[in-house]
Amino acid sequence: MSAGLVGCSADDAPDEPQDVVIPEGDLADQSGTLTPSNPTTITTWITSASQVPANDNKITALLEEQLGVTLKYEIVTPDNVDQKIGVMLAGGEFPDLVGTTDLKMRLLEGGALLPLDDMLETGDYPNLATHVEDDINKMSYSGTEVDPGLYIIPNYNRFYGEITGGTYYGPAFWIQKRVLEDAGYPDLENMTLERYFELIENFKAENPETEGIPTVGFELLASTGREWGMTNPPALLSGSPNNGGVIVDEDGNAEIYADKDIARDFYEVLNEQYDAGLVDPESFTLTFDQYTAKLAAGNVLGMHDQGWNFQTASDSLRSAGKDEYTYVPLMPVYDGVEPWYADRDVMNTNQGFGVSASSEQPEKALKFLDIMLSEPWQKVLSWGIEGEDYEVGDDGMFVRTEEQRANARDLTWRASNRLEALLDMLPKHQGQFSDGNAFSPDDQPTEFFETLTDYDRGFMEQYDKKTWREFVNAPPENPKYYPAWNIALSDDANQVNQQLTDANVQHLPKIIAGDPAEFDANWEAYVGAIGNIDVQVYEDAINAGIQERLSNW
Amino acid sequence: MTQAPVSNVVTAAGLEPALEPVSSGASRKARKKGLKDPKRKITWDRVRAQRALLAMAVPLLLYQILFKYVPVYGWAIAFQDYKPGRGNILNQEWVGFENFVDLFTGVNGERFRRVVVNTLGQSVLTLVVGTVGAIVLALLLNEVKNLPFKRVLQNITYMPHFLSWVIVASLASVALSLPSSGGFINQALMSLNIVQDPVLFLTEPNYFWGIVAGTNLWKELGWNTILYLAAITAIDPTQYEAAEVDGAGRYRKMFSITLPGIMPTIVVLLIINSGWILSTNFELPYFLGNGLISERAETIDVFVLRYGYELGNYSLAVVAGIFKTVVAIILVGSANQAAKRLNQETLV
Amino acid sequence: MSSISVTKPRVRRASRGGSPRRAWTTERVIFTTLNTTFLVLLAVLMVYPLLNTLAISLNDGMDAVRGGIGIWPRVFSLKNYEVVLNMDTIYQAFFMSVMKTVVVVATNLFFTSMLAYALSRNEFIFRRPITLIFVLTMYFDAGLIPNYLLIKDLGMLNSFHAYWVPTIISAFNLIILRTYMKSIPDEVTESARIDGAGEFRTWWQIVMPLCKPTLAVVGLFVAVGSWNAWLDTLLYNSGEQWLSTLQYELQKLLSSSMNAGANTAGNAAAVGAGGQLTTPIALRSAITMVAAVPILLVYPFLQKHFVSGLMIGSVKG
Repeated sequence: MSAGLVGCSADDAPDEPQDVVIPEGDLADQSGTLTPSNPTTITTWITSASQVPANDNKITALLEEQLGVTLKYEIVTPDNVDQKIGVMLAGGEFPDLVGTTDLKMRLLEGGALLPLDDMLETGDYPNLATHVEDDINKMSYSGTEVDPGLYIIPNYNRFYGEITGGTYYGPAFWIQKRVLEDAGYPDLENMTLERYFELIENFKAENPETEGIPTVGFELLASTGREWGMTNPPALLSGSPNNGGVIVDEDGNAEIYADKDIARDFYEVLNEQYDAGLVDPESFTLTFDQYTAKLAAGNVLGMHDQGWNFQTASDSLRSAGKDEYTYVPLMPVYDGVEPWYADRDVMNTNQGFGVSASSEQPEKALKFLDIMLSEPWQKVLSWGIEGEDYEVGDDGMFVRTEEQRANARDLTWRASNRLEALLDMLPKHQGQFSDGNAFSPDDQPTEFFETLTDYDRGFMEQYDKKTWREFVNAPPENPKYYPAWNIALSDDANQVNQQLTDANVQHLPKIIAGDPAEFDANWEAYVGAIGNIDVQVYEDAINAGIQERLSNW
Repeated sequence: MTQAPVSNVVTAAGLEPALEPVSSGASRKARKKGLKDPKRKITWDRVRAQRALLAMAVPLLLYQILFKYVPVYGWAIAFQDYKPGRGNILNQEWVGFENFVDLFTGVNGERFRRVVVNTLGQSVLTLVVGTVGAIVLALLLNEVKNLPFKRVLQNITYMPHFLSWVIVASLASVALSLPSSGGFINQALMSLNIVQDPVLFLTEPNYFWGIVAGTNLWKELGWNTILYLAAITAIDPTQYEAAEVDGAGRYRKMFSITLPGIMPTIVVLLIINSGWILSTNFELPYFLGNGLISERAETIDVFVLRYGYELGNYSLAVVAGIFKTVVAIILVGSANQAAKRLNQETLV
Repeated sequence: MSSISVTKPRVRRASRGGSPRRAWTTERVIFTTLNTTFLVLLAVLMVYPLLNTLAISLNDGMDAVRGGIGIWPRVFSLKNYEVVLNMDTIYQAFFMSVMKTVVVVATNLFFTSMLAYALSRNEFIFRRPITLIFVLTMYFDAGLIPNYLLIKDLGMLNSFHAYWVPTIISAFNLIILRTYMKSIPDEVTESARIDGAGEFRTWWQIVMPLCKPTLAVVGLFVAVGSWNAWLDTLLYNSGEQWLSTLQYELQKLLSSSMNAGANTAGNAAAVGAGGQLTTPIALRSAITMVAAVPILLVYPFLQKHFVSGLMIGSVKG
């Protein structure tokens, strides 16, 4: 309701664009659509974990000053979004800009968004047009619920120039740096599960306690929603990239692997290691909090996880000056297999902003997205204001002072100086700007090196590497369909997928923690449980999705 | 917060008239009976005579019908293959009882029966332990004669109610973990030589209902005594005096005066709660449940979240809601009927 | 007129002052000791987690992640509270929560007790069917979407009315109040009516004052429910910032701290922005304290209403 009202009042002006004054500088809208002389209020609905900006936010002020745009936010966190989407669709009224992260694309399929193809063709939105040009087929909706076409401008991973950045956030078998240090920095090439556990076993034998608490060899997180820590390894061990629950062969045929030999082999090793006391017996009962606390205590030698999932623990260890307890990624594989742990970042085609079907000012709303995608605004949104939030070196490269870095870590400061929720959903100029600077401070190579501790520098030197990314494989070109995990599934296939997850969560802990003598029986029970699920429905849906992508992308 | 005795007396005096009739079920019954006959007939005269009472009740009745009953048309979703994208409820595809059949006998049928059993088990145990615990605590608190001490006790015992379930689940999982992870329950059991090796409580399916009941008891114990304590204030102190004159001891008074005095409250709460037996606390099984114990941990609400809301299957959620409602009404009806037979306070 | 009912008990009460103090018998000493010990132990068990939460909230976030904090912060820090209390939205949301809770408690007590009074009258002809209609509503819910559409069709989306209008009656409290009111002797209300008081007046001037303990309890239930609710904000009023409530803002903050990273799987750029100076577990504790303390403070004020009867007992000793 409010959206409609605001839309009306803001729409009164544009018929007679009298006295359009375009402010000087490269932040202004040269087309004259969004100017301070014709103020516009744009309502936004955003799924984001970020907060509403503070009232005194300086970028908010800049938007008004340069573009005459006032943003009204309705921010819903990912935890609450399922219910909110349901009622919004039932109500049929939406703010001007709808930013969604819904994998099932319910808002799009529910008719909440406008098709953008025709609007982009007018040529009024040059930044957006360039942004989508190469990947328009990937970005376009191809389902059956509404007309195919472009509805959402993806928020992440459309890259310009080179991809930079030193930290690795993907999947790996992680190991504490001190374990490698103690073993004399062994060669990490051709890593196998056996060698991985051997490193852990040897270190644990010598160091049964860490700062007074028992050392834990290997941790596994099986908590609901994060159970992939337990289920994904077989695919990675056999050289397949992260396609979720399936392995896709070279011809594009997908098949689940949970009940195959590659899985059996992995769980058999885990079962042996559990029996030998290397796997934490508490693994299967840990909540995510407890898992984080265990890693942060520094007594866990290794685990399988994705880098972003244990950030808090790493940050905590680093802030306590315990760099030797932080982790490096290793990539164990089965014999004769090339590791493919690190993949190329894939575009989130089902996340981002769309213009709502009930907006009364779709042109202005889209123009706003277009202006925000311009390089000057992208720098403001991502780096901040020159001289306040970053400095420019003589070579034109952006750097930050220690204080500026500290500010950027401060939630309170960010509320007044960043538009995080908005940026989270906006299309981004990831990679490099035309002047060679990285899109964000975290990807700027100089920023990465400056913030490395002496211990980490020394550690990397031992391996003759310059970034953590160099510890994992160089990502090969992604297969055309990749990744299979974000293929939208039918309701039936989704249900089968859920049943598979449940079977994993119920049986795998018993297999791992069981008596090795009963391994075969436990495994058979598990395979039997999977046999009772209509896996074909799921595989067919994935395969249909892959085929569709192969022919359209 | 010290109180002038005078105002206490006045307050208490104000309560006084409320006290008498609760005490004896027999007299109340007699009163009811006496009124029964004329009440049966609804005549125009009676309606006119009661127009004030009607004016108090009818607008609120209409309000309740608008806000609670009218939206029930939404249950139509249970008989549809509901997709929000198709527009409103009238534009949906009708599938008859397919969703019900699916839930009760389909691929998930066996699983659904199990989650119903789990829900019942956790819930009944929680209700019994919680009710007995709250009554006992209310009786014990009532025996504390030092007023400031009693207030402090009450203020402390009701505090856990205000911790969120996320935090409570987190605390519980730490308390139940290995001693090296801060598991003080294991520490206590081991130092008392009750067990030799630490117990992994959350990996043993048979412990889980007890864990749920225990955690609930801890969180809600103090809070649940509030109503009972309020009910105890309504008991006529002269009854205690009379009993003392008769030489009744402390326990005699507890069982013969206090307990019967709060019986209407106990009975009404039990009847009300009997209907909520399938609507258990969602968070504990969700946060503490894990693969090893899911056969005892998973409840209806968890199942519906995972196979309903998370998969966008609104119809399934509504079917489960209808199922719970039907069971609730049968249970409440039976409990109410039973209470009536026993001449106890009833809901309706 | 209302004095009729009050004078009678007051006379009776007066006769009570003279009852003798009970002696400290052995039995009494043993019981009191055991009872006190038990209750103190129970209180310790109950208060520990709250103190633990308080300690974690006052602890440095990075350090708190390591766990093992008892009832005293290990590395003292106010940073968590700084983060929570520095949010612009918090103060306005606090005000809205107070407003909402006051209005909800007032309207709910007024309407629920009025209806409870009518339903407590044995002679009221529609007593049973109306009670049944209300009781049933405790056990079903039409569902998210129909409820939302009703609020929308009534024009109450993004308005303060969406907070209190749907909650003016709660069936549970209705039953509690009615059960209590039924226990008030008929003579009390009958004598009022003989004096010419109408039903409204009897309810408001005679019955309501007698219901203080139960009204206090019911008011507390309603206040806590309203204070802790955030779903109504999410569903009906999340489009207007000024209508946001404390619990909703804190809930969002909590969710954002827990999801830092989780929702950005594969989005390296966003993850890098993490490394905040506070951590989910510490922030959650601070949020718990901020959310709970205001309502914790309400309880002692209401408590006097439902322990007053016991106070007489204790005066007698």
